[in-house]
Amino acid sequence: MATIAVDERPPAGARGPGGPPGRSSRRRPGSRLKRRNTLIGWSFILPNFVGFAVLTLVPVITLFYLSLTSWNVFGAAEWVGLDNFARLLRDGSYHTALTNTVYYAAFHIPLTLAASLGLALLLNRKLRGVAFFRTVAFFPYITSIVAIAVVWNMLFSPEFGPVNQFLGALGVENPPGWTTSADWSMPAVILVSIWRDMGYYMLLFLAGLQTVPAELYEAARMDGANGWQRFWNVTIPCLRPTTFFITVMLTIQSFKVFDLILVMTNGGPGQSTLVLSQYIYAKGFVENQFGYASAVAVSLFLICILITIFQFLWNKRRDA
Amino acid sequence: MKRTIPTALGASAAVALALTACSGGGDAAGGGEPADGPVTLTLAGWSLASTPEFQTIADAYSAENPDVTVEVVEYPAGNDYDTALVADLAAGTAPDVYIIKNLKNYLTFQTGNQLLDISDVAADLDPATGGLEHYEVEDGGTYAVPYRQDSWVLFYNQDLFEQAGVAVPDGSWTWDDYAQAARDLTAAFTAEGSSAVGTYQHNWQSTLQGFALAQAPGADLFGGDYSWLAPYYERSLALQEEGAQTDYGTITTNSLTYQAQFGTQQAAMLPMGTWYAATLITQQESGEADDFAWGVAPIPQHDSSTTGTDATPVTFGDPTGMGINPAIDDAKVEAAKDFVRFAVGEGGAQALAEIGITPALLNDAVLDAYLGLEGMPTDELSRFAFQEHDTKPENPVAPETAAVQNILNDAHSAIMSGSVSVEDGLAEAENRVASEVGIG
Repeated sequence: MATIAVDERPPAGARGPGGPPGRSSRRRPGSRLKRRNTLIGWSFILPNFVGFAVLTLVPVITLFYLSLTSWNVFGAAEWVGLDNFARLLRDGSYHTALTNTVYYAAFHIPLTLAASLGLALLLNRKLRGVAFFRTVAFFPYITSIVAIAVVWNMLFSPEFGPVNQFLGALGVENPPGWTTSADWSMPAVILVSIWRDMGYYMLLFLAGLQTVPAELYEAARMDGANGWQRFWNVTIPCLRPTTFFITVMLTIQSFKVFDLILVMTNGGPGQSTLVLSQYIYAKGFVENQFGYASAVAVSLFLICILITIFQFLWNKRRDA
Repeated sequence: MKRTIPTALGASAAVALALTACSGGGDAAGGGEPADGPVTLTLAGWSLASTPEFQTIADAYSAENPDVTVEVVEYPAGNDYDTALVADLAAGTAPDVYIIKNLKNYLTFQTGNQLLDISDVAADLDPATGGLEHYEVEDGGTYAVPYRQDSWVLFYNQDLFEQAGVAVPDGSWTWDDYAQAARDLTAAFTAEGSSAVGTYQHNWQSTLQGFALAQAPGADLFGGDYSWLAPYYERSLALQEEGAQTDYGTITTNSLTYQAQFGTQQAAMLPMGTWYAATLITQQESGEADDFAWGVAPIPQHDSSTTGTDATPVTFGDPTGMGINPAIDDAKVEAAKDFVRFAVGEGGAQALAEIGITPALLNDAVLDAYLGLEGMPTDELSRFAFQEHDTKPENPVAPETAAVQNILNDAHSAIMSGSVSVEDGLAEAENRVASEVGIG
């Protein structure tokens, strides 16, 4: 059955540059084998691809189309061209959501990076019970986000919460209102999300640290480098691929932050923690303006992709 | 691949919801009654195990009309009901008859051609059916009718009032009387060393804005000017400041529930919808709530012109409607209309009242059934409070309702948390309504 056809082949040059593709491509050497291999390959990725296509790819493509319509769920989507995007430029709430998202990202990315790297360095030694501490650090990441939000909200309670009681004990006169104050709600959310994410990125950093060759440290030590110099000149450069990967992941994660904020503050008080994903949700699922919500989603997509491209280019330049 | 996830949110969630919503079908056929009638209708409901009203109406109807079987199709509860139902309607797989959970989304369904004109059913109904008029749209048609309507009343703990030596509500209260009572109660509790407070205002925007919209002179959700909310906020903030009302920030950060606060006697008064009466009775039976005597009074009024038991107190509520899916089989339309007529009429009202639900139609017979439930307060004022009210819609029917309410919701959290002053918070809301909704 599965014989490999070795038929009379046209000379190898038949499909040379400039040669007409015409009939000569009819039977190429091993073309059946190639096709078979391709099909086998496809069949391997098919289960995943079907899921991806049905649940992600098609909706995303539909989303781009919807962003140019005024669809409200029912009936046909009316084409409005770029109206939705023109409205974005004028929409004060969109600007608030965008500013808040950038605010969140600007603090969440570097602080999580620093915290997770610090944890990784701390837990990369031969300590007694290091596995236990690593597990502890990873724990928040596998805890339900709703539970995290509810518990932290209680900790942040302005009057009875342990956080403010602790601050009070330290002599802080006017402790912040945290999630009940428009000024402090974003810092509160950022703090919680750093606490939640640092364990996961710590794990990635730990993996990265294993790849740093011990000889380099040894050589540096021979040259008289102190701990700080070794960290700065050996650890950091060797970790660069890991750091880059984590930065990209953190950036995307920060821009699409949704669940934690939805459960913890629901964007409030006022609009102080309203972020883009939540704005998309509100416009779409609460106000049924799916066309406009799609336009916001497209803008978020463009922001994410632009930043990622920039990061890749920057990384490449530093590689060179 | 990851970065595509946020952008896919809108559409993929809709697909996912459509998929999950479909799974609810067909598993909720009505009990064990003689099913094989010539007509089978499907009715959309949510959380059937904890929300018996749909099955109750279905059973009551089938008992009178053995030829018709009403199958209740289960949908998720909360806001997910609308989302899942919308997905099914858009896909053409929604049940024959469905519930319009609140007025806010009624127009979305109606203008989206997802509701049959049932003006003929509406014409047959008792004009006293609460909230009926809100369903008439601009073209004169009525596309849904209300089968239940919860109005907001004042629940109060008689034992705590007595203990504090404060006079219980007598139906003559304005909001200032209510505030004074809250202060007096709190002072008495504090003197006794108790941590209870005078009143509990839940963190929903409706617990304040609903009353202001219904009662304040000149209140208009679409007027672009929201200064009519100011006195209500000032009063509430003052109570909060003085400790006579549970603090907004404490409610949100500790996820307090009104059921626990009133049920465990942490607050002596609670403005709440009439649905809470049945919950309170159940919780007192199960021990979740303390055992204490309670009553229901008309909600305090803006001024004395509508107070007293010879006047009709003004309050707000959000009727729950029932409509017919236009995708229904033509042969079943008459049966569906008959079912809706029954559900909204006396038959349905009686059945609902017997399980502690406030039907939209509240005549004497229905009210007797409702107040006859074990554990319901039996005093005259409670009866008056349940029966007599001019209930304004929480969400007047208009295309802009959802957008305006969302903006006012932001203002509510900002003002109540003390993040902005009342004046600034309302000014901000006015600006946003002008720029985002185009009003004012």
